Amino acid sequence: VTDHGGVGIKVLGVNHRTAPLEVRERFAHGAHEVPGALARVMAAGAQGGVLLSTCNRTEFYLVTEEEPAFDTVWSLLGERLPAAPTGGVREYGYVVRDREAVRHLYRVSAGLDSMILGESQIQGQVREAWEISRAQAGPVLHRLFQTALHVGSRVRTETGLGMGTASAASAGVAVAGKIFGDLAGRSALILGAGDMAELAATCLSDEGVKITLVANRTQERARAIAERLGGRAVSLEDAWAYFATTDIALCSTAAPHAVVTWERVGHIIAGRGGRPLCILDLAVPRDVDPAVAQLENVFLYDVDDLQTVAAQATARRRDEVPAAERIVEEEADHFWAWYGGLGVVPAIKEFRTRMEALRAAELERVMRQLGHLSAEDRARVEQFSEALLSKFLHQPTVALKAAAEEGRGYGLLEALRRLFGMEPPA
Amino acid sequence: VIVTLHLIVLALYGLGTALALAPFLGLPPSPRPLNIALPCAGAALHVVAISQLTPVGLGPALSMLALCLVLLQLASERLLRGSAVALLAGPLATALVGLALLSGLTPGGSAEAVGSRNAWFVLHVALSVSGVALMALAFIAAALYLLQFRELKARRFGQVFQLFPPLERLDQLNRFALLVGFPTLTLGVLLALGYGARFSGGLHVAKAQIVWGMFTWVVLGWAVWVRVVRHWAGRRAAFASIAGFSAVLLVYVALKLAQPGVERFL
Repeated sequence: VTDHGGVGIKVLGVNHRTAPLEVRERFAHGAHEVPGALARVMAAGAQGGVLLSTCNRTEFYLVTEEEPAFDTVWSLLGERLPAAPTGGVREYGYVVRDREAVRHLYRVSAGLDSMILGESQIQGQVREAWEISRAQAGPVLHRLFQTALHVGSRVRTETGLGMGTASAASAGVAVAGKIFGDLAGRSALILGAGDMAELAATCLSDEGVKITLVANRTQERARAIAERLGGRAVSLEDAWAYFATTDIALCSTAAPHAVVTWERVGHIIAGRGGRPLCILDLAVPRDVDPAVAQLENVFLYDVDDLQTVAAQATARRRDEVPAAERIVEEEADHFWAWYGGLGVVPAIKEFRTRMEALRAAELERVMRQLGHLSAEDRARVEQFSEALLSKFLHQPTVALKAAAEEGRGYGLLEALRRLFGMEPPA
Repeated sequence: VIVTLHLIVLALYGLGTALALAPFLGLPPSPRPLNIALPCAGAALHVVAISQLTPVGLGPALSMLALCLVLLQLASERLLRGSAVALLAGPLATALVGLALLSGLTPGGSAEAVGSRNAWFVLHVALSVSGVALMALAFIAAALYLLQFRELKARRFGQVFQLFPPLERLDQLNRFALLVGFPTLTLGVLLALGYGARFSGGLHVAKAQIVWGMFTWVVLGWAVWVRVVRHWAGRRAAFASIAGFSAVLLVYVALKLAQPGVERFL
């Protein structure tokens, strides 16, 4: 463990494994809340801090001693959860220290710690957290987050961890992508205005798909989604005509039976002139009559199909975990060597200063006894003492620097301090 | 040297094809850089080998066609970011190099062969072979389109779904290959006419070759016409490309069988 006088890299947080959604959503911090929260932790003695808050995790990355910063973090989170269990908010949380903390962030950034293995959204969230907290991060966390983004990119480039899609909504995007290629500029019609419809529509919108219409029985909800995604709200009855022009139809109504039937849309789709139409039916029970798929150039996928695509992607991603973990370990070693070096450099400097002071003092004492020496001989003796000290210090300095580069600096540093009576820095 | 180089090229193309086919045989996919490096290395050696050949006769023509196909495969890989084109272009190029070796590859030192090295002739051969290679690429894109279409319609999400490019991109590749292929072949044909007029009494060309060349040009023109004028796209355009290329191959085989022993006929 590299420890800079009790100050070290620490992670305190809750995530999807330790806390249920209703707890996590209370801990979530908006971007505007982050500086204030970090300021409180900094006031409690932390030298640097970054707050990563997503729907799946709220984590404080700190360079600090354990107390009183830890107490501040737990009380800060506790204030958001008045009905905390008997053990307090700590029951939902965890603490990761030093090299494990570095490894933890690298795994988070790589998507190895995500609810959906390998999802890429987290890398953007790590970047955003770093940018929001930049003023309070300090040099160590600055470098840690910078390297974490590099690790995320390496894992996604060098392994297949980000390959494929791992949720039904994103699988819908992938399937549409296999028909149209680039989805940017394509148009989509959304039938239904529930959570699933909104999530899938957002996924499409994120890919550049133009959400032209949101059709629902109740206009109010449809209007809210349409406004957010830049489309127009219409009633279900008015939506059928748009099957002639839209590229993607996303269906997720709460209707108890098929609403998109051959009778309603068959003749309209036939007039498309062979242009492909991708229909994503996310509703259970299904919204689209399977007979519609018999139309030329209609590609119809229901929830089972999309879950098959998502499951395949997850299985493939699992095979890539060992390769991703290797990259994480390798990069954590690199960071740890750099971090170890931060403590070794001042220690070496202090060691050399002490030895130099000792040499000067001893030289002065011996020169008083050798008063008969000529000025030339006195200079030779001084040169000899300097050369001897330099030779004595060379090997320990080289060994310490090498050990620091290999992440083993702390052990030698401790030995140096004990052997030469050097106090650890405050 | 030419034969040795072709044997190495054959091995590299063969290995590249095997790697491209591996995921479809249940083996783990090889790294993308390797999938590109092998045909790249093969193509580089192939260029060296072809530069020493006289572009006369069946062997050199097949070898040049294989090289054009591999170059188009690499360009498609760069554009589509998928190795699917290699699934068909790889075996085809490998087979063409093999056939070229069987047909005989020699530098050629006769006066006629040396005469054939003039710029008109070399350009005519290069453009004509490129035109046919682009037609073959259109055929490959069409075949991949129909396979991917079938899988998407049948809701099968296996290797074809995963590794083949999107339908629209394959359709665009088919259209691009036809639109570039037709003027290229047209220019090749025009250069042949110009060569005939400029150097009358030069190379002897069999009537069968002229018939096949014109037939290929007409078929390619028809494929472009249905895409551009009739606005055929997707499945219909894919069927048209496959039918056209198959017809060109069948007519070639028929003419070859009807005129055995005509050395100059490709």
